[in-house]
Amino acid sequence: MQSQNTYTRSEVLIWGLLIVLGIFVMRLFYLQVIRHDYFVAEANKIQIQPLTIQPERGELYVYDRDELVPLVLNERVYTVFADPSEIKDVSKTSEILRRIIGGELFSDVESLLEDNSGKVRYRVVARTISRTQAEKIEKEQLRGIGLQQTNRRLYPEGSLAAQTLGYLDVEGKGQYGVEGALDDRLRGKEGLLETVTDVSKIPLTIGNDDINKPAVDGDNLVLTIDRGIQLQTEALLKAGLDRAKASKGSVVVMNPNTGSVLAMANYPTYDPSQYNKVEDYSVFQNSIVSAPYENGSVIKALTMGAGLDSGAVTVNSTFDDSTGCTQVEDRRICNVEEDPKSASASMLDTLKYSLNTGVVHIAKQMGGGSMNRAARDTLYRYYHDQYRFGQLTGIEQTGESAGIIISPDEQEGNNVRYANMVFGQGMDQTMIQTAAAFSAEINGGTYYQPRLVAGIREDDGDVTAKEPVVVKNNVLSAASSQQARDLIWQGRKTGFFGKFDREGYMIGGKTGTSQVVDPKTGQYSDTDSIGTYLGFGGVDSPQYVIMVKVDNAKIGGYEGTTAAGPIFNDLNNWMIDYLKLQPKRN
Amino acid sequence: MSHYYRMSSQQFAGRQQRMWRRNQNTVSFAPSVALGPISHTILIALMIAVLGLIYLTQVTKTSGYGYDINGLEQKLETLSLQKEELTNQNARLSALKSVENSNVAKAMTAPQNSEYAQN
Repeated sequence: MQSQNTYTRSEVLIWGLLIVLGIFVMRLFYLQVIRHDYFVAEANKIQIQPLTIQPERGELYVYDRDELVPLVLNERVYTVFADPSEIKDVSKTSEILRRIIGGELFSDVESLLEDNSGKVRYRVVARTISRTQAEKIEKEQLRGIGLQQTNRRLYPEGSLAAQTLGYLDVEGKGQYGVEGALDDRLRGKEGLLETVTDVSKIPLTIGNDDINKPAVDGDNLVLTIDRGIQLQTEALLKAGLDRAKASKGSVVVMNPNTGSVLAMANYPTYDPSQYNKVEDYSVFQNSIVSAPYENGSVIKALTMGAGLDSGAVTVNSTFDDSTGCTQVEDRRICNVEEDPKSASASMLDTLKYSLNTGVVHIAKQMGGGSMNRAARDTLYRYYHDQYRFGQLTGIEQTGESAGIIISPDEQEGNNVRYANMVFGQGMDQTMIQTAAAFSAEINGGTYYQPRLVAGIREDDGDVTAKEPVVVKNNVLSAASSQQARDLIWQGRKTGFFGKFDREGYMIGGKTGTSQVVDPKTGQYSDTDSIGTYLGFGGVDSPQYVIMVKVDNAKIGGYEGTTAAGPIFNDLNNWMIDYLKLQPKRN
Repeated sequence: MSHYYRMSSQQFAGRQQRMWRRNQNTVSFAPSVALGPISHTILIALMIAVLGLIYLTQVTKTSGYGYDINGLEQKLETLSLQKEELTNQNARLSALKSVENSNVAKAMTAPQNSEYAQN
């Protein structure tokens, strides 16, 4: 007889199933409830793709008179690569590539495609092809041929203003010039898209926790550079250097009434699109802002302004220059031999003939008749505090140098040094420092920060202008500024260069020829020197300031006159036509 | 004789609580096949399945918009690239070097002198 406790097979099966189901339920509970967070995170790792949205780098524009033109743009280009092991018909593939790409296809493409050892699976067969060419290759669906998109900077004007612009390196970082100085502004900010994607990485809009933070493109900057002036400045600099048999030189053109730089030209120069081919890295530097030097006699124009403003001299002051020399402690400072000697030399003579004795006389008058601490303090106040020598201008360029000016508090800031500083020896300035200080001297006494950024080009094409920045008012009083300007004007007009100027315009300027310290000996070189010309042009008031520097000219004479002056003359006369300045008839 | 149709006592049992009123239809038919608990469960399961399908359809439809958006973005990108290419081409052609080397520029002569009219 069957026992009461025995189970039927159905009951065993049911209980077995219930136990199995129970295990399933417990396992599912463990996976779905207890380990919920872990598996959600694991799933998100696969399904949610954080995609970085790259911002567009800001472009650089300049004006050509009133028209806005691009100087640096962005361009998508493509690299064509091949996986030789995938290519079945080499001749057909190379034929199609040659038809589409043309001369940009590597000449040894067949041998690159034929390598089917399987070891190399990535060979570049063409670089920097256009989007149109890339699209044609895509349409052909060539087996084993791939495309890689890259961005690069496009310079429609070639090497124009190369040092001012700088370049973008392979890592996408701005180097030198505006590219380097304003890299953060040009770079923009990356965006982020974090969402569920399908297997093809296409974002799907089903996630509740999607992040879609758009990229912020870099600013499209409008520079103060004028394309026409820049091109002409570069051309005239090159012609002037060839004429003077000089290998190096620079020119800066500024608007003295705003501090806007209209042109910055350096020679030798380079092509920013091929910066990697440059062997002499010094050409990357914009020496106008980064290479301080002893400016020489052009500083006399600024010393004259300081003398007039401080009351040490007036426009009618005279001094005894019958010997052509003056004594400062144990040093005898003389003019050049050709200069006329006069018992009653004027301030105009000082600028016209570039008399060292004249500016030393001004310095001595600051000290009550002799070169002393009071004279040095006054000179330092004007050079450092008013003209801002020894301080960065803040122009939007990398590698700006503050130059060197020795304080009268220092041992080296003695009377002899200061007696040399008044004619531009014994202190170093960059061209931008001198041009900015000179602008302040002749514009009524306002020091504007030299600048290269005129504003931002908005997406709709409008330009949001950036106002000029006044760094210092009353560098000189308005009256002193006008007197200094008129003396500089008359100095040129009655001097050697006056005959090159057109009637009816206010053209002023000063030459400078400075000795260069030989790095080997530490002494002034007998053979090398730097010629400089610093001047302005306009009708009733200065409209532009031009500073020219020529290194190591081999033309003979004083390089300020023989090498730099002619470049100023050419550019000045061209500027009058370019700016359409009408002459004053009376 | 009564005016009313007489129902069986079983049929009448469920209606005992109701009050009969004048002109009221008192005839009622009960289904002959009653639904059991299994049928109910299946029906509920089917309803849940239908609702689930509707939910899935909607979700799929929403995610499908992702493809539409992606397609539109691709189109936008293509047009942007075309615009960029045309802008760059325009910049190249209007560059001063290109203009200088153009046949029109080569045929020009420089003015010997410039004079200005006074107002």
